[in-house]
Amino acid sequence: MISKLFQRNETYLFFVIMAFSFFVTVMNPSFLTVENMFDLVKSSSGMAILAIAFFVGLLSRGIDISFPAIAIAGQYIAVNALIAMGVDSLPLAFLISCAVGTAMGATNAFFISSFRMQALIVTLGTSNIFHGALLVFVGTRAINTGKLPHCFKAFGHMNVLTLARPDGTLYGLSVFAVLLLFVIILTWFILNHTLLGKSIYAVGGNYESAKRAGFNIKRTLFFVYGYIGFLSGIMGVMHLSLIRYSNPNYIVDTELLRVIAAVVIGGARITGGSGTLTGTLLGVIMMVILEKNLVLIGLSSYWHQFFIGLVIVLGVSITYYQSKRQNRRNLLFTD
Amino acid sequence: MCQGVLSLLIMEKIGGGTLVPFLEAEKISKAFDGVQALDNVSISIDAGAIHCFVGENGSGKSTLIKIIGGILRPDTGQMRINGRPFTPGRAIESIRQGIQIIYQDLALFPNLTVAENISLNQLIEKRNKLVSRKKLIQTAKKALAEIEEECDLFEKVENLSMSKRQVVAITRALTQNARLIIMDEPTSAITKAEVDHLFSVITRLKQKGIATLFVSHKLGEIFEIAENVSIIRDGVKVGDYKAEALDDRKLTFLMTGQEIVSKPYLPKGNGPSQSHLLELTNLTRKGHYQNVNLFVNQGDILGITGLIGSGRTELALSLFGLNRPDSGEIILEGKPVSIRSSREAVRLGVGYLPEDRLLQGLAIEKSIGDNILATIVGKVLTRLRLISGEQRKRIESKWIKDLDIKTPSPAMPASSLSGGNQQRVVLAKWLATDLKLFILDGPTIGIDIASKNNIHHIIRDFAHRGVGVIMISDEIPEVLQHCNRVIVMREGRIEAEIEDVQGVSEEYIFDLAAAKKVGQGM
Amino acid sequence: MIGEARIVKLDNLTLLVIMVGTILAMSIFLPERFLTVTNFQSMSSQFPEYGLFAMAIMLTMITGGIDLSVVSVANLSGVAGALVLASHVKAQAMGISPGTIIFLAILAALVVSLICGWFNGLLITAVGVPAIIATLGTNGLFMGIAIILTEGHGIRGFPEEFLFIGSGTILGIPMPLIIFIGVALLVSLMLKKSAQGFKMYMLGSSPLVTRFSGISNNRVIVKTYLMSGLLAGIAAIIIISRVNSMRPGYGYAYLLLAVLLAILGGTNPEGGRGGVLGLCMAIVILQVLQSGLNILSFSPFLKKFIWGLILILFMVVNYYQTNGWPMRNLVRGGVKTGAS
Repeated sequence: MISKLFQRNETYLFFVIMAFSFFVTVMNPSFLTVENMFDLVKSSSGMAILAIAFFVGLLSRGIDISFPAIAIAGQYIAVNALIAMGVDSLPLAFLISCAVGTAMGATNAFFISSFRMQALIVTLGTSNIFHGALLVFVGTRAINTGKLPHCFKAFGHMNVLTLARPDGTLYGLSVFAVLLLFVIILTWFILNHTLLGKSIYAVGGNYESAKRAGFNIKRTLFFVYGYIGFLSGIMGVMHLSLIRYSNPNYIVDTELLRVIAAVVIGGARITGGSGTLTGTLLGVIMMVILEKNLVLIGLSSYWHQFFIGLVIVLGVSITYYQSKRQNRRNLLFTD
Repeated sequence: MCQGVLSLLIMEKIGGGTLVPFLEAEKISKAFDGVQALDNVSISIDAGAIHCFVGENGSGKSTLIKIIGGILRPDTGQMRINGRPFTPGRAIESIRQGIQIIYQDLALFPNLTVAENISLNQLIEKRNKLVSRKKLIQTAKKALAEIEEECDLFEKVENLSMSKRQVVAITRALTQNARLIIMDEPTSAITKAEVDHLFSVITRLKQKGIATLFVSHKLGEIFEIAENVSIIRDGVKVGDYKAEALDDRKLTFLMTGQEIVSKPYLPKGNGPSQSHLLELTNLTRKGHYQNVNLFVNQGDILGITGLIGSGRTELALSLFGLNRPDSGEIILEGKPVSIRSSREAVRLGVGYLPEDRLLQGLAIEKSIGDNILATIVGKVLTRLRLISGEQRKRIESKWIKDLDIKTPSPAMPASSLSGGNQQRVVLAKWLATDLKLFILDGPTIGIDIASKNNIHHIIRDFAHRGVGVIMISDEIPEVLQHCNRVIVMREGRIEAEIEDVQGVSEEYIFDLAAAKKVGQGM
Repeated sequence: MIGEARIVKLDNLTLLVIMVGTILAMSIFLPERFLTVTNFQSMSSQFPEYGLFAMAIMLTMITGGIDLSVVSVANLSGVAGALVLASHVKAQAMGISPGTIIFLAILAALVVSLICGWFNGLLITAVGVPAIIATLGTNGLFMGIAIILTEGHGIRGFPEEFLFIGSGTILGIPMPLIIFIGVALLVSLMLKKSAQGFKMYMLGSSPLVTRFSGISNNRVIVKTYLMSGLLAGIAAIIIISRVNSMRPGYGYAYLLLAVLLAILGGTNPEGGRGGVLGLCMAIVILQVLQSGLNILSFSPFLKKFIWGLILILFMVVNYYQTNGWPMRNLVRGGVKTGAS
C-alpha cells in the first residue's frame, strides 16, 4: 500500500506543497495562520471549482476552454435579471447563472458529440459566441457595487465560522468554503459512485470500448459539458460576490491559464481518463500558494506570468517524460 | 451426437432436429463500399457447444461477429435466438440476449481497476444509476470464483499481463449472464501454457451451459477444443463440420481453397565463403530478448517465428532503430553499427515492413504516390532542393506497374485499395530504396490468397537480387514454405535454428515455439 | 470514397465561393466606402500580423500539433528587437549607423523567435509533452519573460527609418502586405514542393507511418516549430514597426483569431491537411467581413460573436462534407477492423 502511494503523482505534489509551505512559513510566519488560510480559501475557491470543472472535461478527453466565457455570461445575466425584476434573491441568482451555464455547456456537448469535433476547437468557437452574444444582446456596461443587489454583497461577507483576532476584531471562514466543499463532494460522488461517473472515465480511457460496452456516450458527453457549464455558473456568482462588481468585458483569460496549470500539474493527462480529484485540488493549492508567495521569495509581480508558465512547463514535463520513457520501453509509439 | 458427417444439410437434420439452437444466423450478407465481406453466410450454434469459426485473415469472420454483436447491421439475412427473431440495433441488445464478444483488443478500460472492468458492464446492462464499491468488488469476486480464477481487484488493468487481461475480459462476460461467449482470436498473444489454461476455462464454461464461439485462423488449436467447426473463405461459407471429421490437410484446403504444396525457397548459389550480410552477437534488450545470435546472408530469407511476446517484433524493431538494445553487437556488412533511429536504419539500407499495415505501414488517407515516396522523398530533389515532379511521376508509375498495383491513378488514396494492393504499396515504398536488409513482420496478415502468393513472389524476387530478407510470421506454414532458414523464438530467446527446412513438420515448430511447459530451460 | 485531393479542392472551392460572395456583396451594397483605395490599404496593413500568426498555427496543425504560443513568441521577440532599436540614440553617438541598428534589431527578434520555436519543439519531441499543453505553458513563459524584461512598460523611441517596415508603401502597396505575400509564397513552396513539407503532411496524417518509413519525426517537428517561431518573429517586426513601440501583452486577442483562421482555411486540426491558399482566402473573407462590419459600425462584440459562429458552422459543414451519409461511420469501423 505504501509503495503504491509513492507511485502516485499526488504524493509528490503533497510533499512539494508541504516543503514549500514550510519554507514560506519560515520566511513569513504570518503565512501559516488560520486567518491567512481562511483568506486563501475564500479567494481561491472559485478557481478550485473551475479546476474541478476542467478536470471533469479532461477525464472524458475533452479540453473545454469556454468556462471563463460561461462564468461571466452566467454571472452577468443573473445580475441583470435580478436588477430588472427588482428581486434580491441569491438562490434565484444561482438558479439563473447555473441554468445559463448548463445550457451553454449543453450547446458545447451538442457539437462535440454530434459531429465528433475536438472539444478545444468547439469551445474556442462557442466561447466567442457566448461572450459576443452576451455583449451584444445583454449589455456591455459594468455593474458596480452601488447598483449590485444586496444579496451578492451579503453572500460575499457571509462567514460560516467566526473567530476573533487578539485585538478583538473578527474574521471568519467564508461561506464559499461550504460551496466548494459541496462541489467537491458532489463531483467525488458522481465520479466514484455513479455509473455516469464511471462512464466518464470509460469514455476518456477507451472510446471504442465504451461504445461497445453499451455506455450511452452522448449522454455522458452532455453530462460532462453540462456539468462544466453548471460549475462555471456557480463560480460566476461566487466571483461576483467576491469582487462586488460585474464587468462583462472582463473575460477571465488569465483565469483560464491558471486553472489549466493547476489541473495539469495535478497530474491529469490531456489524453483523458487519468488523474484524480485529489490531484486537481492539490494542483490548485500549489498554484495558489505559489502565486501568493512570489513576492515573499523576492520576486516582483512582473514575474507572475513567467512563474505560472514555468510551473506548467516543469510540471507537465515531468509527467509526460515519465510516460514517454515507459511507452518507449513498451514499444508504444504514441506520436 | 453424430459422427463424421460433413454436409451442412445432414448436420442440421441431426444436430438441430430435436433441439432449437441457441443462435441461428441465416443467409447473412454484408458489403462495405461495394466489397462483399459476407455473402449469404449461415451459422448455427447450439447451447453449451464449443464451436469454432475458422477462416483466413480477411475472410469475413470479424464482420459476422460484429453483426451478431449488434455493432454492424447486415444488408440481408436474419438471426434467431432460441428460435425467436433477433435484430440487434445496438451492442447492448445483443448483450441482453446473452451474447458476449471478447475482441482481440479485449475492449477493456486500461485506466480502471480490475474490479471496475469486470463489474461495470453488468451495471450498464441493469441500468444501475449508482455504483457501490462493495457490490462492485463482490460481483468481481463472484465472477472470478466462478471460473476459479484469482486477480488483484484493485490493480489497474494497464498494469496486467495480456493473459490476465484476457481473464478479466472473460470474467466480465460472465457477470452478464452470458449464454454465448464469442472469442476473437483469443490465443494470438498468449503462451502455450496460457492457451491450455484458457481451454480449461472454456471447458468450465461449457459445464455451465455457456456456448463458446471460438474464432481463429490457427490450426493447432482448433482440434484441441472444438466440437463443431464452421469454415468461411472470402466471405462465403465453405461448410460446417464435426471436428472429428477434419484433419490438418483437409482444414487447410477448406480454409485456403488450395492444396499447399511445399516448395521451399532456395537462395541462388551462395558459396560458403560469403561473408554475412548481417550478424548479431549476444544482442540483448532487457525484458524484450536476450543473447540473440544470428546471421543473414545476401539472398537469404530467414524466417523468424514465435508467439507474440516471444521477442520477434522487439528484435526486428531493434534492427530498425526503434528499440535500442542494451548490449551486444549488430554487424552489418562486416562493420559494427549502432542504429539509433529509423532514419539511420534507412540510411544503412535496412527496411521494415510493419505488422500493423493500417497503422504503421500505410498512411491510409494519403495518396498511393505519397506513400511510395515516403521513404525516398529526400532523394528525388532537384538542385533547388525541391521535389522533382518528373522523378516523382517516374517512380510512382514504375512501382505501380512493376508490382501490379491495381489503381487508376497514383493520386488515389491508399484507402481505395484492397488489402493485397495496400501491402504491395508498402512493399513498393521499400523496394524504391536501396535496400540491403529487408525485415518483413507478418507480410501477409489480412491478405487474400491470390495476393499472398504474389507477395511471396515479390519477396523471393527481392532475395534473389541479393537482398537479405528476414520474414517474421506466426503462420508456421508460411515460414516453412518461403524461407531457407528458420529461427524459432520463445520468451526472448532463440529456441532453435533450423538450417534446412525441408522435411520439418509444422507440429515440431509449433511445439518449439509454444514449449508445452513454461520455464523449460534452454 | 472521395480522394484526399478532391476533398482539399472542395474545401478551397467552398472558400472561393464564400470569398467571391462576400467581396461581391460588399462591392454591391457598400461600393462608395468599401471600394476605396484607403479602405484596401487599411485592410491590407491590418491582416498581415494575425495572418502570420495563423500561418504559424497552420504549419503546426498540419503536423497534428498546435502552437498556442505564437503571440507570446512575437511579444518576446518584439521586446528583443525593441530593446535593440531603443538604444539607437546611444548607438549613433558611438558611430553605429541606424541601418546597422535596424539590422541588428531584426536579427535579434528573429533569433529570439527561433529560440522560442526550438524550445517548443524540444518540449514536444524530446520531453514528449503534447503540443497543446507544451505551448500553453510556453505561452505563459515567453510572455512572462517579455514582461520581466520590460517590467510591464512599453519600449519606444525607434529610428525613423525602421517605421517604413510597418507603415511604408511601395507603389501604394503597404509594406506589411508585401512581406506577407513574400512569406506566404515561400511557405507555400515549402509545403508543396520541399521534402520537409511532404514529411509534415505525412507526419500529420500518420506519425506512425513516417516513423516506420525512416523519417525522423523529431526533426520534422522541431523544424516545424522553428518555422512557426520564425513567422511569429516576422509578425513581431511588423507589429513593433507599425505601432512604433513595444508593449508586452500586445495582440493577445489575435490568438483566437489565428486559430480560427487556420481552421477556416481548411487546416485539419488533427493533422495532415491544410494549405496557404485556403488560409489566404479565409483571411480575405474575414478581413472583408470585418471591414464591412466596421463600415456599418457594428459593435466589435458582434464580430466576436460572428467569428465564433463562422468557426462552428464551418466545422459542421466540413463534417457533412466528409461524412456525408450517416452510415459511413459504421462502414469505416467495419473496414478497419474487418480485416483482422
